[in-house]
Amino acid sequence: MLYKVRAEISLKPGHSDPEGETTTRSLKELTYPVRNIGVSKMYTITLEAKSRSDAETKVDEMCKRLLANPTKDNYTIQVEQTQ
Amino acid sequence: MKREEIRIFILRVGGTNCDEETKRAFRDSRMDAEVGHFNQLVKEKNLLDYDALVIPGGFSHGDYVRAGAIWAKQIMAKLGKEVKTFVDEERPILGICNGFQVLIEAGLLPQFDGISNFPEAALGANIPAGYNCRWIHLTNESNGRCVFTRRIRKGSIIRIPIAHSEGRFMFSKECERKYLERLLDNDQLVFRYCQHDGKYPDGRYPSNPNGSFYDIAGICDPSGTILGLMPHPERAYYGWQLPDWTKNDKIPAFGDGRIIFESVAEYLTKKF
Amino acid sequence: MNLFNHQITPFEIYEIRVQDAENKKLLKISRKLGIGLNLEEMKAIKEYFQKKGRNPTDIELQTIGQTWSEHCFHRTFKGSIITESGEIHSLFKTYIAKATKELNPSWCISTFEDNAGIIEFNNNYAIAAKVETHNHPSAIEPFGGAATGVGGAIRDILGVWADPIVCTDVLGFGPLNYDYDKLPQGIKHPKYLFKGVVSGIGCYGNNMGIPTVNGAIIFDESYVGNVVVYCGCIGLLPKDKFVRNAKPGDIILLAGGRTGRDGIHGVTFASAELTEESEEVSRPAVQIANPIEEEKLKRAIIEVRDRKLGSGITDLGGGGLSSAIGEMAHRFSCGAHVDLEKVPLKRKGLAPWEIYVSESQERMLLLIPEKNLEQVLDVFREEDVEATPIGKLIEDKLLKIHYQNYQVAELDTSFLFNPPRIERSAKWSREISKDHSFPEPRNLSSYLLKLVSSLNIASREKVVRTYDHEVKGNTVLKPLHGESGGPNDAAVLKPLVNSWKGLVISCGINPRYGKIDPYWMAASVIDEAIRNNTAVGGRRIALLDNFVWGSPAKPDRLESLVKACKACYDFAKRFDTPFISGKDSLYNESPLGPVTPTLLVTAIGLIPDVRKAVSLDLKLPGNLIYAVGPTFAELGGSEYYRLKGFVGSSVPKVRIPQAELTMSAMVKAIDCGYLRASHDISDGGLAVAAAEMAFTSNLGMELHLKNVPRAKDVNRNDFLLFSESNSRFLVEVPRHHATEFESLTKDAPCTAIGKVTKEQRLRVYGLKDESVLDMDLGELFFAWKHGLEIEI
Repeated sequence: MLYKVRAEISLKPGHSDPEGETTTRSLKELTYPVRNIGVSKMYTITLEAKSRSDAETKVDEMCKRLLANPTKDNYTIQVEQTQ
Repeated sequence: MKREEIRIFILRVGGTNCDEETKRAFRDSRMDAEVGHFNQLVKEKNLLDYDALVIPGGFSHGDYVRAGAIWAKQIMAKLGKEVKTFVDEERPILGICNGFQVLIEAGLLPQFDGISNFPEAALGANIPAGYNCRWIHLTNESNGRCVFTRRIRKGSIIRIPIAHSEGRFMFSKECERKYLERLLDNDQLVFRYCQHDGKYPDGRYPSNPNGSFYDIAGICDPSGTILGLMPHPERAYYGWQLPDWTKNDKIPAFGDGRIIFESVAEYLTKKF
Repeated sequence: MNLFNHQITPFEIYEIRVQDAENKKLLKISRKLGIGLNLEEMKAIKEYFQKKGRNPTDIELQTIGQTWSEHCFHRTFKGSIITESGEIHSLFKTYIAKATKELNPSWCISTFEDNAGIIEFNNNYAIAAKVETHNHPSAIEPFGGAATGVGGAIRDILGVWADPIVCTDVLGFGPLNYDYDKLPQGIKHPKYLFKGVVSGIGCYGNNMGIPTVNGAIIFDESYVGNVVVYCGCIGLLPKDKFVRNAKPGDIILLAGGRTGRDGIHGVTFASAELTEESEEVSRPAVQIANPIEEEKLKRAIIEVRDRKLGSGITDLGGGGLSSAIGEMAHRFSCGAHVDLEKVPLKRKGLAPWEIYVSESQERMLLLIPEKNLEQVLDVFREEDVEATPIGKLIEDKLLKIHYQNYQVAELDTSFLFNPPRIERSAKWSREISKDHSFPEPRNLSSYLLKLVSSLNIASREKVVRTYDHEVKGNTVLKPLHGESGGPNDAAVLKPLVNSWKGLVISCGINPRYGKIDPYWMAASVIDEAIRNNTAVGGRRIALLDNFVWGSPAKPDRLESLVKACKACYDFAKRFDTPFISGKDSLYNESPLGPVTPTLLVTAIGLIPDVRKAVSLDLKLPGNLIYAVGPTFAELGGSEYYRLKGFVGSSVPKVRIPQAELTMSAMVKAIDCGYLRASHDISDGGLAVAAAEMAFTSNLGMELHLKNVPRAKDVNRNDFLLFSESNSRFLVEVPRHHATEFESLTKDAPCTAIGKVTKEQRLRVYGLKDESVLDMDLGELFFAWKHGLEIEI
């Protein structure tokens, strides 16, 4: 079965997000009432898996092994749709 | 072993771009350095034929995902066994800039409990954000464990340039203090950013150019044979590379970066 | 030829009926295909196909459109121009290339014929240089536009088998504080463009590991609607590896990234004016940058070069395959046979003409003798780069394009490379600007503070630090000098391990003078490029020209272009500095009006020993300060006038032979080791030059204006401080060399005007010995350092 999984990698709370901070400042300069911006990275992964949970397990492993660095990153996984 | 017999392998992959000047520095220090593509090391060459491995600066695989992450996993997946042996035999590994990022992502640094499957530290996006190319000052913090700094007196200040956008050394918030203590206890803290007078900037820009925790610029593994650092010693090898060499009546022959190459040469000649 | 009937071909191709089309229809065809050809050109096409007895296919018309575009063929520079004083056949031949031809230096290896100009470096090595413009793409998508601009300049260098070693970039933006409400639809704010362009330039050079060492950033109102992006690259080429000997039978190899729909019609787009619709219509013209692909491509190409496996090479830039294949075939006096279906695609479903004109980035075309093909493919495989044979050179001077066994195009190269010459007229219709009279201000300190912090003079550190200017470890004199990051006049590189010989890179640009007089603007920027180079010790200088102009269809813009070109000839000749390469970007017009005529001159010099290069920072208290070259009351277009809200008319002139004598005296003084510091006098005049030298070194200066060599009519302190007369320097000379230095510079007016002081102040005394400036260096430094307030 083919699954489409979204993995979102974001910074753990408490870690500074220089890109978010810079972007906040530049949007404020354009007079938007922005309080805070968090930048995260979204991977849309299409993969072959036995089941929905198998797809989730595989992507979880991908996040642990490569896509996220546990020192600073959190990640969330969403199995978006099956075909 | 004689210096001329020391074989250095400088590893490159798509996006590596500091290999030539790194080779020049090793060769100038009279070692036999060669540059080779990762594909060659996987297919035809044997890592264990070399005395030291160098992962130079650049943007391996475009620094996609995180700087150094993709190449680190690739190295450990395809050459993990050889690397393990290499490390066990205490043959030196040097990671400069992108190479440091690779060593962290590969779990080869800091190695509190051996090579780790997941990174125990991170080199995050700079604060202030963005790429930064500048000369900075470093203090040598090593008490002698690190084989790349044995010729530098503890506490002395050296000047070397940095050029990166992801160089903010950090531990996970929960373990920050504990890990720092381990670094210090194991004599793994090698370089800290400092002001020109040697005082620590305590995170303040620009002396600490990227917001690194505890002003950390470089660390080694517990054996002292693996060094990773963000600054580029190969760009401070000769006197004419210094940013203000013109102020001297006579140009100094060498820059501060050279001592790192000399130190490892000395270690290798004595040990093997 | 096969029939082009859409019903029987399994892919999309159209026969375009031009044989029986009348004029109106011809123009409609040009418009509908988006190929931007005029009636004369369409008529020539009609005639050609009438002779052939058939109609063209869409791919044939697209090929002709690309090849004849302004961007690829430089129609304006090669066409006829009717001026008030007679007809000019080809601006290029009459002016730009003429100086080079007449000077005919033995050290010029290839000028204006290959992808880059090539000059000698030493017995074994040559230097290749190219500067491109990428204005239009950057206006639509600043990051991608600027990044691919850098990528394109680098490929031009690879396109002569040279190894790229240095990048340069010169950028022009509207004022960063431009009122958002005044922006017309579709035009992006200067701040947005600034951030995008700077990040794009940094991203490409940094990722490829090529140091960006020289450049400039200029601000002008006219750049609000016409952002200016120049990207340059310089490469090192072992002379014996410069191979151009392709023959019929050699394989055409396409290497690098895959081909996609990105960047279709980039060149016709670059040759048109930006309009409100540009943003929407031009989207497909935006190219996506992948520097790592190009880095790998570079490695493979250098390996092919070093093993001498290739016979020809060119880059894929504007026009994609359609212009590259034609040019290659034409260069080697052959034809080409191409199988388009072999071109690796990013996505299926591109029509043959789209494959042929796509401007997807990071692609190069190599010609390989058949016997070497396997070895070459191995080289590319080793670097993880895709390389695909897509055809071969043939004897007949024809371009034969096949797709899935159908011949979809057949064009004679003689037709393709002989477009009808266009004829345009040029006429000067601009008002002559006036000079202003005003009393000398009392407080000149406040003017100096405003000048050092003004947009055009303030520190570029924020930008320069985002570019890796140290990678490769060969940057001897850096763009930012020392701890304070003072502005060196030129970059010095040491490209070879075993030689002290250095490469000196500098530039000159000044749109403000262009507002007054394009002739003296061009003369001034040539002088500026040369004197920046001279200031650090460069000599045997080669020049590159890059014109950014408005629409040449408008007679006044064209006349100003003619004037600038004339100056290029006059001063290249008299300075003995040939032009070796150039590129123009015309049609820079927006709803806000045309771009101010802007000429960038890049200078590439040599220094026999990099250890003799001189930086701008002062070295020792007590040393003498000399002003070299006379000051005139030339404040037209100056930064000082700009502060006062004037343009003025007294634009700086270049006086030959004095200028030339001054430059050669400087070089001699540097070789003799008499100069401890040296800085050119340009934007903001003598006062700004002095301030920069002082705060870079944390040493002060005491100067006496009454001793400054000057024309008789210069009788005001503010003019002496802020005039921007050309061919001048401020230098530091130790007292024990004073006599020798003075005798060396006796032909160029040169006087000691003061000394270096330990106290960190800039003290200047006026014509009547009164104190005119007495300023703290810290204050000046702070103002200079923080003048350009923008986050990147």
